[in-house]
Amino acid sequence: MRDPGFALDEAAPDNRARAVEVRLTQVGLGVGLGLTRRLGDGVGGLLAGRVLRILSDRHPRAFTALREMPEARLLIDPVDAPAALLLQVGPRLALRVCDRHGVAEGAVDAAVRGPCARLLDLLEGRIDGDALFFRRELAIEGDTALILALRNTLDGEDMDLFADMATAAGPLRHALPVARRHAGRMLDLLDSARRAAPPPLRWGMAALERRLAGQPKRRPQGS
Amino acid sequence: MTPLLTPGLTLGPVLFNWPADRWRDFYFRMADEAPLDTVILGEIVCHKRAPFFADAMEAVVARLAAAGKEVWFASPILAGNDRERAAMRDVVANGLLPVEANDMGALALLAGQPHAVGPFINTYNEATLSWLAGRGAMSVSLPAELPAASVAVLAKAGAALGLAVEVQVFGRAPLAISARCYHARAHGLHKDGCQFVCGNDPDGMPVKTLDGQSFLTVNGTQTLSHGYLCLAGEMDRLAAMGVSRFRLSPQAVDMVAVATAFRAVLAGQRDGRDAAAEVGRLVDAPLENGFFHNVAGTAYAAEA
Amino acid sequence: MEPFELICPAGNPAALRAAVDAGADAVYLGFRDETNARNFPGLNFSREDLAGAVAYAHARRVQVFVAINTYPQAGNLGPWERAVDDAARLKADAVILADVGLLAYAARRHPDLRLHLSVQASAANVEAIRLYRDAFGVRRVVLPRVLTVPEIARLNAEIDIETEVFVFGGMCPMAEGRCSLSSYATGLSPNRQGVCSPASHVRYEPRGTALASTLGGFTINLFEEGEQAGYPTLCKGRFLSGDRPAYLFEEPTSLNAMELLPELKAAKVRALKIEGRQRGKAYIAAVVAAYRRALDAFAKGQALPTLNLDAVVEGGAQTTGAYKRAWR
Repeated sequence: MRDPGFALDEAAPDNRARAVEVRLTQVGLGVGLGLTRRLGDGVGGLLAGRVLRILSDRHPRAFTALREMPEARLLIDPVDAPAALLLQVGPRLALRVCDRHGVAEGAVDAAVRGPCARLLDLLEGRIDGDALFFRRELAIEGDTALILALRNTLDGEDMDLFADMATAAGPLRHALPVARRHAGRMLDLLDSARRAAPPPLRWGMAALERRLAGQPKRRPQGS
Repeated sequence: MTPLLTPGLTLGPVLFNWPADRWRDFYFRMADEAPLDTVILGEIVCHKRAPFFADAMEAVVARLAAAGKEVWFASPILAGNDRERAAMRDVVANGLLPVEANDMGALALLAGQPHAVGPFINTYNEATLSWLAGRGAMSVSLPAELPAASVAVLAKAGAALGLAVEVQVFGRAPLAISARCYHARAHGLHKDGCQFVCGNDPDGMPVKTLDGQSFLTVNGTQTLSHGYLCLAGEMDRLAAMGVSRFRLSPQAVDMVAVATAFRAVLAGQRDGRDAAAEVGRLVDAPLENGFFHNVAGTAYAAEA
Repeated sequence: MEPFELICPAGNPAALRAAVDAGADAVYLGFRDETNARNFPGLNFSREDLAGAVAYAHARRVQVFVAINTYPQAGNLGPWERAVDDAARLKADAVILADVGLLAYAARRHPDLRLHLSVQASAANVEAIRLYRDAFGVRRVVLPRVLTVPEIARLNAEIDIETEVFVFGGMCPMAEGRCSLSSYATGLSPNRQGVCSPASHVRYEPRGTALASTLGGFTINLFEEGEQAGYPTLCKGRFLSGDRPAYLFEEPTSLNAMELLPELKAAKVRALKIEGRQRGKAYIAAVVAAYRRALDAFAKGQALPTLNLDAVVEGGAQTTGAYKRAWR
């Protein structure tokens, strides 16, 4: 469902870039989960920790506020991505990728679920959380105050996840702006490649994506 | 109007739409049998109801006065439209009885004359109390939602300012007022053509949650608690704080028995918890005192 | 004739920038504590934030109003008095107050500070408004949402201070500042703690295919699959009176009085206010921009643009509320 109040023009390059960002996030979460599965929490945690540090450096007001909150754990669950995020607020602020099915009952204080694109919009304040909730695109569970505090804190920033990542040091610095700039063309290429490819190659692409996402073979990701 | 610094029992105005005969007989009985110090009259919820008992007003005032009760008039809670404003001005200009102001408009009109401030004017702190005292308030009735800590500060400040501080100790707690009539709305009617459906519910219209749990009470434009606020068990503590007036809000229950129970506690002749237990048997809903104990108003905690 | 002043909400510095950039004439905001009626987790301004906000707004000739519109706690007036002092020190253009004790303090301590009367004071008649003007020098009153437009017109004919009315956003069906429904269910109230139906006491739980919202353990609503949801406030809940579940007080709906601009102008209303300090900056940008366009068109005598704000409003529904008599 699109929201006429805020809908970005489907044809706009910005929107194509968004689609790439959503896909990158989904794949990133899959990679994170794969690393975590194979190498343990430490390595997966490093990746998410890195993202958290970059954002924290860029948005000190919000991240100071998150560290000042009472310790609590929030599951951020993009339902169309292979993995979820577990955010711990409070003095020991931490972020890690997790398997949404592997979160033990009672291990989190609250959960927020929605499409990956919507959660990204919310993180960056491109959309109003209340409106999403009214329209039932966002589901929340558990400690409502915790979710509200996080939402309000992040909304206070002019956050642009990919721009923030891109300005930080490291390999992403080069990859992300390029990905964004060529978003439209990349999507076109990917789409036409998919359409044009003979079945075996299509399967191969799916397998590649699965590997990237760290998914077991019997649970292919819809793409 | 005398400043009532000796502890006294006040009967607040009847909030519900009772038939004129019932209304008159209720006050006659209060005059004759209830150990009350002050009785406050007036239709404060909906000005449309006032004409029904206007004819009985004079007899009621005379009977109460003859029984030694001090009688006041209360101004409407909400005075937005012209007719409500006219009702407010009529109350203030009655020329006969002292007035309890329930809106800042009435308070404005009472400038220069001794008056009481009702529970619908927001008195939350000592700065406000002091400002009200400076304008001639002799008595201030506190909002029902104030916790013990605030009541204590205000009672102390009131004593220093020479005004009486009052707390509601019995009756459904008033929670909200609106320009919209929920009684009419619940019956699919408009406020202007309400058919006085509020008259069907002498103790208000019960409101339950979707789970069937009793929760609120609707009285026309007013919303009240379902449970009955009861601070019988807290009377000693209130008196020790310096609260000198204790308000009973009329309900369709045996109000003589209620007044008698509270009078006995006030006179030190009866244990408050014992009186609360009796009050609990007189009403058909739970007792509540959560506001005073600084928790949800729905709660009831036995005074330790 | 002077154009309407557009008064816009901000829950944080980013929202303030969004409101200013979208065309606000003034932005109202609160400090991060119980001194204002939107004391929600993660929301509002530190003193430092306010300094930055004032600098940003003033550089663009936009005013900043600070809402200090809860009722100070007995025995603890300090936080409220300091809020007034700091708003004055940091060059806020007005403070929006409700409590007479605090108004008296502000008038005495800061005679040059412009005082607005908050909607939380629920001053609904000429007599009350004149009292606030005479006693404290209040310059503007934000009218409670209980008056019809003709009533506002008659009121303005009799008073000589400015009036501000809500035109968009969440709407209390109850007289503001005179409601204890929230504290009845949770122990926390708009008047004392600056919260209505606080998130700390709200839970959402699936019940079959429906979504239930509860407040302080009381079930407030059940939304069927695909049904628009609303805020978990008591006055927008579904209850049983008789045997049928119904929105007894008010449906989940938002005020939108844009169609009433000509009437509000004729009623001599000075300022139009948008509700929503608790909303995201995306909402603020969209609604403020929409109203800016409408007011500019209106000022030029042009037809009002058609604006679709359904996507951002509670319940996906809009009402003109108490401004029309039929609402009652």
